[in-house]
Amino acid sequence: MTSYLDATLPSRSEHLWRYTPWSRVHPGSVDTIPTVDSAVVKSEELEIVNQPFQPLPSTDIARIFLNEVLTDTILVECDGKEGNIHIHAGGHAVATHLHISCKTTSNLVIHIHGEAEWFGLALTGHAQPNASLSVGIINELSTDSVMVRVDDWYVQRDGRLELATLSMGGHRNKSDIRSTLQGTNSSLKQFIGVHGHGTRHDDHHVEIQHQQPHTNSHLLLNAACDDRSHSIGTGALTIDDVAQHTDASQVFRNLLLSPSSRAEAIPELEVLANEVAAAHGAASAPINKEQLHYLMSRGLSNEEATSMIVEGFLVDTFTGLSSDYVRDAIQTRLTVHLECKLIG
Amino acid sequence: MTQEAQDAVGDYKYGFHDPESSTIRFDKGLSEKVVRDISELKNEPQWMTDIRVKAYHHFMEREMPTWGNCESLEGINFDNVTYFLRSSDKTEKDWDDVPEDIKRTFDRLGIPEAEQKWLGGVTAQYESEAVYHSIREDLEEQGVLFLDMDSGLKEHPEIVKKYFGTVVPHTDNKFSALNTAVWSGGSFIYVPKGVHVEMPVQAYFRINAKNMGQFERTLIIADEGSSIHYVEGCTAPTYSTDSLHSAVVELIAMEGAKIRYSTVQNWSANVYNLVTKRGVAHKNATVEWVDGNIGSKLTMKYPAVLLKGEGAHAEVISVAYAGEGQHQDAGAKVHHLAPNTTSNILSKSISKNGGRSSYRGMLQVTPKASGCRSKVVCDALMLDEDSRSDTYPTMEIGNSTADLEHEASVSKVSGDQLFYLMSRGHSEEEAMGMIVNGFFEPFTRELPMEYAVELNRLLELEMEGSIG
Repeated sequence: MTSYLDATLPSRSEHLWRYTPWSRVHPGSVDTIPTVDSAVVKSEELEIVNQPFQPLPSTDIARIFLNEVLTDTILVECDGKEGNIHIHAGGHAVATHLHISCKTTSNLVIHIHGEAEWFGLALTGHAQPNASLSVGIINELSTDSVMVRVDDWYVQRDGRLELATLSMGGHRNKSDIRSTLQGTNSSLKQFIGVHGHGTRHDDHHVEIQHQQPHTNSHLLLNAACDDRSHSIGTGALTIDDVAQHTDASQVFRNLLLSPSSRAEAIPELEVLANEVAAAHGAASAPINKEQLHYLMSRGLSNEEATSMIVEGFLVDTFTGLSSDYVRDAIQTRLTVHLECKLIG
Repeated sequence: MTQEAQDAVGDYKYGFHDPESSTIRFDKGLSEKVVRDISELKNEPQWMTDIRVKAYHHFMEREMPTWGNCESLEGINFDNVTYFLRSSDKTEKDWDDVPEDIKRTFDRLGIPEAEQKWLGGVTAQYESEAVYHSIREDLEEQGVLFLDMDSGLKEHPEIVKKYFGTVVPHTDNKFSALNTAVWSGGSFIYVPKGVHVEMPVQAYFRINAKNMGQFERTLIIADEGSSIHYVEGCTAPTYSTDSLHSAVVELIAMEGAKIRYSTVQNWSANVYNLVTKRGVAHKNATVEWVDGNIGSKLTMKYPAVLLKGEGAHAEVISVAYAGEGQHQDAGAKVHHLAPNTTSNILSKSISKNGGRSSYRGMLQVTPKASGCRSKVVCDALMLDEDSRSDTYPTMEIGNSTADLEHEASVSKVSGDQLFYLMSRGHSEEEAMGMIVNGFFEPFTRELPMEYAVELNRLLELEMEGSIG
């Protein structure tokens, strides 16, 4: 396993670290390994088991760092169940590693909250053959927190994985979400909704690798950026040469709500097979004036009409989720959050 | 043609070459002395020598670029390149005076016919300097300057000094530094205020000698309210050792001016084609790049436009064909620096026989650039299972009123389309050729007629033997 202090720090020319350098999300000075405590993880519906730490693949600096500071792995027993997992991140620097393995069907929602200055989250999981796993992640950290999230998901033959992320909390977030379609006829649906407010900096890097034929993936990232927030979406979709008959799509949409907000979208595509349908799209625009006019002509104020459009834009991110349980949980939290933020 | 050359040429259509007949040729490798000698040989003013030397030092210190397929650049041996070669002692203006062996090469490229038909003027670059140059009388009467870059520097040093390196400074990247240090040839065009050049103005570039780097420098200035369409095409003989083509093109479109720059490059499959092309569009000006990449071993070319003035517009249409052993890493960069600027990028690529085509783009909207609109469309066709197609778009949006769209798709030739054409009596190969030509049609319709015809012919040639 690569040691963090021996590892080379990534250059900003690297796709992964182009907009959020590692030094900005490390909990301290980059050449040190500070003390990192374990976050508190609880669930009423699901059984969670503490196990010795299972190392993450040492492919990048964030994973190498987490391998040094994490002490245990929390195994989530979720087969045939649905439920919530609450992670409370408090204190100076905390981290946790959740591992989810699903053999049948499972729907779960991970809620992240707390006031930690720095929070490191490692999520790993397997959708086993024929399994159907739906996972929602809701980030409601305090507005001063910095979060580093790394995900490694594997989907096996005829497996189905749905990953939905609602990112509303934290001051600076860097998420590196990687999924590998390892088995024939496996599929992945990924939805990311970002609400940028204040000076939030939210960077999502999504890697999807199709390793087998007849695999499908769909990624939708919707970011609504207000105030001086900055949203970044980078995608790296790879279709291996054997992965014929693959269907893959990536869509990045940014809604810019204030003159000082910023958004970056880089949906990259590497295709080595020819019997494929691969497409991506990215769009960035202000609020549609016609929509605003329509709503205001029905008696809504400018603020109310704007918040309604933003809500519609973000809620729409998750309408493709087939799990009602995860979709309802996410949309409920989103509505509550927007009512607090936009209407006051 | 010698047996060695014949063997190397293989089945490459334009892969003929004439025995080298250069009169002045520098040793391989680069040093400050080589840079100073090039400048001295050309009797350049001191300020140009100083820029060259400064650029040489920057080149030596500068690291390889990080944008693009940078691993492939490691194959370049800068010490194995001849940085200056003069193939003819003087610049010719009359076709009859052009040396016979050089003329033979051009004959096979069809330049005389093209000129007789409807060209505005021809600068044919043979190796490092212009050997043939003509300009139509009506252009001269309108005050349009169309010279090779060396003559431009001699005859109009004040204009060259004012604009040289203002769009692509030598500090831009390692290859722009190299070009600034050793540039030779290229075109210099100045279009005065309000003059519209109706006919496309053309230049042909060729590489003829082994390991011959070609470092042409082109500067086009369209003054207020003027317009010009410049066309550049390349073919090169095939050699067994690598050649380097590293050009710099600078376009300056003043208020209300329009510049269209069309290129079809068909370098042979051993050439590294590393070109920095950039244009500046001032208020209400338009810069258009129409860019076709058919040949070369590795092309890294991202025509760029800086939309500096309000209401400026950029248009980039590019196509790439990547065959066996080729990597076409092409794309476009548009920087919206002023309000109400607009841009359109259309990229089409085809990969075949294990070739790799990549779109790499940058679309930037700065905080001051309100009300910008842009659309980027990338389509890729994969013709077999050994090929590869990549898309690396970047969108950086710093203004909330910007309206930007990007869409890309990768697919293979549809079985339905093939079946339809074959049921009308075409062979599979013909049907495939028609579909490929149709795929590139948005590009070819923007080219002057003979270029479009030549491109279609080239594509048909490339498609031969692609079935079965």
